[in-house]
Amino acid sequence: MRESIIMKIHYGTALGAVVLVAVHILMRMTQNFGQSLQYQNVIANYHFLPYALMLESILILLSVHGFNGLRVILLELKQGSSYEKMVNYGSIASMAILIAYGSRTILMAGMGMS
Amino acid sequence: MAERLSNREGIKGMANPTRYGIERVAYWLQRLTGLGLLAYLIGHIFETSTIVHGKVAWDKMLEFTQTPQGHIILTLVIGMCVFHTANGIRVMLGHGGIGVGKPGQPEYPYKAASLNYKQRLCIWVSIGLAALAMMYGASVLFGD
Repeated sequence: MRESIIMKIHYGTALGAVVLVAVHILMRMTQNFGQSLQYQNVIANYHFLPYALMLESILILLSVHGFNGLRVILLELKQGSSYEKMVNYGSIASMAILIAYGSRTILMAGMGMS
Repeated sequence: MAERLSNREGIKGMANPTRYGIERVAYWLQRLTGLGLLAYLIGHIFETSTIVHGKVAWDKMLEFTQTPQGHIILTLVIGMCVFHTANGIRVMLGHGGIGVGKPGQPEYPYKAASLNYKQRLCIWVSIGLAALAMMYGASVLFGD
């Protein structure tokens, strides 16, 4: 994929994440911060489908943005064909693992498997 | 050859925040806050995954994170998040050609049009917003 397209994805995921993370934080502020972290409240969040979908979107957007950012930093430090390939594939793999692990939590908690 | 090699500073050159003024500091802060936020994201996904192990595991995790040290870390994360967002929007607009001035003939003392007062002001505003958000975050976290 062309770097210009990757940068557009990078900026797009950033803007999307800013909006959704703001909603995520505001949800914590609807009640006392400590109270909002109580087990029942958090489980209720996962059971509410629109909120669970929003968490999944945040997870994907931030994983893509975060690991692409790390890829850019690593490519700024050093260049070379095999190194670049390793960094590119390493970032994609890390991104996929993080999304899979986070999605597992959202799915299991949302479906009452906890 | 020796002169050419002396110009190759590698990571040390990239890491040197003393040259190029506040723009280089912003470049560094953007990368450092990005790495910090990525580390927090991984930690946050790991900590929230304890909910699938039931109430006891969740409460144990809260006991570990809802401490003054945990609140200090969260306050730093708030600051990193706000700076990274505000400075990131500046960088994004700059890449789109907004706020970087018009290209012109290079004239002594060869000041880059892109490093103008608007850009510098935006960097300071980003730092200021991060500081304010940290103060508000700390008041919420420690006010509980």
